[in-house]
Amino acid sequence: MIRTALAGNPNVGKSVIFNALTGAKQKIGNWPGVTVEKKEGICNYKGTEIQVTDLPGIYSLTASSIDEKIARDYILDEKPDVVVDIVDASNIERNLYLTMQLMEMEANLVIALNKMDLAESKGYRIDVRKLSNEIGLPVVPMVAIRNEGVEELKQTVVHAANSPKKPAIRYSDEVEEAIGEMEKKVTKERILPEYPSRFVAIKLLEGDKTILEKAGKRTEV
Amino acid sequence: MDFAAQIAMARYERIGEILGRCMERVEKPESFSDMIDKVVLDRYLGIPVFLTLMWAVFQFAFSVSAPFSDAVDVFFSACSDWAKNTITDPQLASLIGDGIFGGLGFVLVFLPPIAFVFMALAVLEDTGYLSRAAFVMDRAMTKVGLQGKSFIPMLLGFGCNVPAIMATRTIENEIDRKITIMVNPLMSCSARLPVYILFAGVFFEKYAGAVITSMYLLGILLAALMATLFRKLVFGGKPSPLLLEMPPYTVPTLRGVFTSAWVRTRVFLKKAATVLFIGAIAIWFLSTHPWQATEGGSVVENSYAAVIGHAVEPLIRPLGLDWTAGIALFAGFMAKEIVVGTLGIVYGVGEENVASAIVSHFTPASALAMMVITLIYLPCLATIGILRQELGGWKWTGFVVAYELVLAYMVAGIVFLGCKLVGVA
Amino acid sequence: MKLSEVEPGSVVVIADVHGNPEVRKKLLDMGLIKGAEVKVVRNAPLKDPMEIEVKGYNLSIRKVEAEKVLVVER
Repeated sequence: MIRTALAGNPNVGKSVIFNALTGAKQKIGNWPGVTVEKKEGICNYKGTEIQVTDLPGIYSLTASSIDEKIARDYILDEKPDVVVDIVDASNIERNLYLTMQLMEMEANLVIALNKMDLAESKGYRIDVRKLSNEIGLPVVPMVAIRNEGVEELKQTVVHAANSPKKPAIRYSDEVEEAIGEMEKKVTKERILPEYPSRFVAIKLLEGDKTILEKAGKRTEV
Repeated sequence: MDFAAQIAMARYERIGEILGRCMERVEKPESFSDMIDKVVLDRYLGIPVFLTLMWAVFQFAFSVSAPFSDAVDVFFSACSDWAKNTITDPQLASLIGDGIFGGLGFVLVFLPPIAFVFMALAVLEDTGYLSRAAFVMDRAMTKVGLQGKSFIPMLLGFGCNVPAIMATRTIENEIDRKITIMVNPLMSCSARLPVYILFAGVFFEKYAGAVITSMYLLGILLAALMATLFRKLVFGGKPSPLLLEMPPYTVPTLRGVFTSAWVRTRVFLKKAATVLFIGAIAIWFLSTHPWQATEGGSVVENSYAAVIGHAVEPLIRPLGLDWTAGIALFAGFMAKEIVVGTLGIVYGVGEENVASAIVSHFTPASALAMMVITLIYLPCLATIGILRQELGGWKWTGFVVAYELVLAYMVAGIVFLGCKLVGVA
Repeated sequence: MKLSEVEPGSVVVIADVHGNPEVRKKLLDMGLIKGAEVKVVRNAPLKDPMEIEVKGYNLSIRKVEAEKVLVVER
């Protein structure tokens, strides 16, 4: 069985995709200890079972809100086989911001590029293959509300589970220099070794409270 | 520049590079969405449009769903009658008829409004109007410790607090959501109206309308006050920033709307319904036992419920209320619509003649106290079940029950003493 | 100039974002970064919050938060 998590901003059609994947066979509950809704379901692609967990809709992964903390902890601690990052093509610029952060976390990503029809009517012409090459990840164009791309998404998820991709994401030299230095420190002092060192370095530099706290328990940064 | 800003810029810079190589932007004329918003969010038209839509949502949730609730009610009443007529052992007949079928009817009657509320919410959310509604109302709602998205759940509270509290699921921010849930029972649901009508009609004849209206206003005022207090004292004071995306308008799909309604209704059935059903059975037991003494549930004065009514009498006596009010309030815990009926049973006059009977047990001042208590005192059993479901456990639910009891007692006391001071008996 | 003071219809460019670290981080995440173009679309009927267009989408933001965003003319 393949374990996948659906991540994405609010309003990207995440629940439509979740429903399209799992049908009515879904369990709704709460995330442990909080009142945030947790949805889980199962779907099938040519005999392979795919377990789907819907993460809360979030704009960022700073863990400043409970939703962001839930999504981040799930990806870091439960380590799903594939994370489907649902991107609203008609709002692609802001949506890719979360993608950047998911890439920083070194999750095994598949991008579901939803609302292709709206993007078109907004005047966005996106070359999906080029985007996939640029970003180094599989991209599935979708119009989930019309059920377009759902089978392709399943297929891509199964494929990604068998051949994980974790392309590096590089920023400007100035930023990379700061990250590089911190990363050295993180590796040397073995700060949160269970997480990707580059991710820990970025979060420490960002002054992320939860990561600082977690790291602080073991070492002074 | 610090690193947080630097990396945010770096990420967007990287995104810019990527999109620069794989996307073209063609200038498009003004979108359909923008045109709709010119009207819907207009400085003058924005609020009338909002109020009209809210009226429609309320009607859809409670008036359109009413026949379905009535059908559930009729069905289980018939089952209950059938059980009582067929089963020879009277105690078993009462258990199955009043306890089990009565309890099932009591729980399932909530399904239609819940399903209709979630259909309405799904339409609002899927079209994109939900965030516009929050945009229009946010200013007014932040003044009272809530936020724009709290408005719809608070409004629905006037119909029934159960679907209203479930509707807070649209509020993303955890603290805002909790505060909205916690003050929601103060919105006077339709089940409390018969109590106001009875007491205001008997004791304030000409001014009945004003008295009833003031109960609704009192509920709103207290909700505003408590929300502000909770935000300041319980949740550390800072309102969470509202950064709400306003998505383009879209046409919702039938399938999406029904899935959403079905999924939420199922949550209610799976979670809250069990608690409610057990509660209903417990209340049936308390009001019909000891079996011999109550002569098979017909003499309420001798039941365990009456024992509770008597036990609270010393507490409510300073408010001019006696044990009969105690029993009625206890019964109202099950569902506030049975307060009036219970008074009728206790006075042995039936529901039609209860008006003449209450004159000897209440004064205008104590009648006001009774109305205030009915407004505030306890969320009904169904609301408690839903509070537990939505607040994630008994801790916060207990807090709501406790604050409402204390608040009811205080406000009723102030009203009662105030009446005495100005010379209303 | 603060973003909260910009008239509807105007397009401005963000110069700096202040505020406590948490709010600031949120604003940055939503695309309110230095150099970003912002169009003020309208104020709510009750004057607050305001609707802006940034990074190709529409966002509603309260005046309290918009005060923390410094902007310059394009």
